Amino acid sequence: MSRISLRNVTVDYPIYNSRSMSLRNNLIAIGTGGRISKETRGIVSVTALDDITLELEHGDRVGLAGHNGSGKSTLLRTMAGVFRPVKGQIHVEGRVSTVFGLGAGLVPELSGYENIVRMAMMLGSTRSEAEAIIEDVERFSELGNFLSVPVSTYSDGMRTRLSFGVATAAHPDILLVDEVFGAGDAEFQKRAERRMEEFIEKSSIFVLASHNSQLLERFCNRSIRLEHGKIIESEETA
Amino acid sequence: MSAIFHNVSLAWYFAWSDMRARYKRSVLGPFWLVLGTGIGVVGLGLVWSVLLNTERSEFIPALTVGLVLWQAISGAITGSTTVFARSASVIKNIKTPSWRISLELVFQQTVNLIHNFVVIVFVLLVYPQDIGFAALLVIPGLVLVFMNIFWIAQVLGFVGARYRDFDPLVSALMPILFFLSPVLYQSRQLGSLDVISKLNPIAYWIEIVRNPLLGSVPALSDYLVVVAMTIAGFLLATWMTRARGHRLPYWI
Ligand SMILES: Nc1ncnc2c1ncn2[C@@H]1O[C@H](COP(=O)(O)OP(=O)(O)OP(=O)(O)O)[C@@H](O)[C@H]1O
Ligand SMILES: [Mg+2]
Repeated sequence: MSRISLRNVTVDYPIYNSRSMSLRNNLIAIGTGGRISKETRGIVSVTALDDITLELEHGDRVGLAGHNGSGKSTLLRTMAGVFRPVKGQIHVEGRVSTVFGLGAGLVPELSGYENIVRMAMMLGSTRSEAEAIIEDVERFSELGNFLSVPVSTYSDGMRTRLSFGVATAAHPDILLVDEVFGAGDAEFQKRAERRMEEFIEKSSIFVLASHNSQLLERFCNRSIRLEHGKIIESEETA
Repeated sequence: MSAIFHNVSLAWYFAWSDMRARYKRSVLGPFWLVLGTGIGVVGLGLVWSVLLNTERSEFIPALTVGLVLWQAISGAITGSTTVFARSASVIKNIKTPSWRISLELVFQQTVNLIHNFVVIVFVLLVYPQDIGFAALLVIPGLVLVFMNIFWIAQVLGFVGARYRDFDPLVSALMPILFFLSPVLYQSRQLGSLDVISKLNPIAYWIEIVRNPLLGSVPALSDYLVVVAMTIAGFLLATWMTRARGHRLPYWI
């Protein structure tokens, strides 16, 4: 049974400037017994998630809303295990698949087919599992002959089709999606929606961050609103 | 355990598919690599055998093996300082053990070396060496060298991700490291300067791979030094990854 549980999770982004990034200043800091260190190494940090406590269970379909910079992407990446919180605990059970940003991990010189296999393997499939999903992605993405040419020739929407197809084909228990439908055309959006519905039926947990409130309403049975890294609203919707 | 195996096979697959991507639209493909090495061997071999006043039939085979190894070693070292930054989009978006990324770099060098072996075989056919079963020692030698390259790539990768000055620093040091390593010469020719090769880890790596191919058995002490280096290096890399690995997505 899949589960995501966050307890008092805080995530900070350190802001490294050229001074704190440079070796010279750190060497000077060591050489002077750390005296200069206060001025030269002062690393500022931005708190992106502030003391978040959250339980997600089987069947939860969560819509994340909030202004730009409110922490939605950071929350998704923390759930995916990319960022480890500086404070608090996070516990995730189940196989996670992610659709973050356009084409993270795509290699532009390689063909669509080769990228399908690569992406699926990166998300945790074995080679043979990855090759087995090709047909499914072929059908869903409707990219046809374009799958044989390098991904560098794809439009944004075509990349979205490919990434989304791979992420959903691998039958994850948990699917985390960050704002990706923008680039797809109307017909693709319909198909993506149908596929998400299918996926949701196959159960598990689904988290979608979006500024599109219609989309959130349509797919989600829980809505969470973030502001300045805090949950300011959390409710069950139908 | 199965996760480790999965990630190793992933790194291997990605290294090959990167090779395919790199040479996608070239006719000769990876044989550019072989050709480049061949040209290097001929050029350096002709010039330096005259300058150093040595017999070509002795100098060129040693140079070839040394040069092919040097390419793998220097390729891994210079690539490692930016290895994580180049994979930033993967590291920031998909949960990825950092060592898989640096292992991929090591495997790319392994793939290159496999191709470059063509040059070594060719040179050994032209200048046959008196080799017997001892030549098989080249296999454990290469395994040890690549294990060392692996921990070094991981450690330098971390330092390079955190400190941006590290990459130009390492690039600036590579040419001098080339002359301090026994590529154009053999350690025993150093005479009173022998201490250079005693202190340079790369010298030991070259010895344990080159000697078997030239018909001599490497000294046991060379093996002991390399094995000790491997163990110490893996401990260092593991400690670093445990302690700082989770900070990597913030650095790049
Ligand atoms: N790599 C980074 N380095 C430093 N600060 C960052 C980084 N990424 C995000 N932040 C900061 O963290 C906070 C949360 O950002 P996040 O990307 O999670 O917001 P978001 O809700 O996804 O915004 P959007 O709606 O624009 O996608 C913001 O204040 C942002 O400035
Ligand atoms: Mg965002």
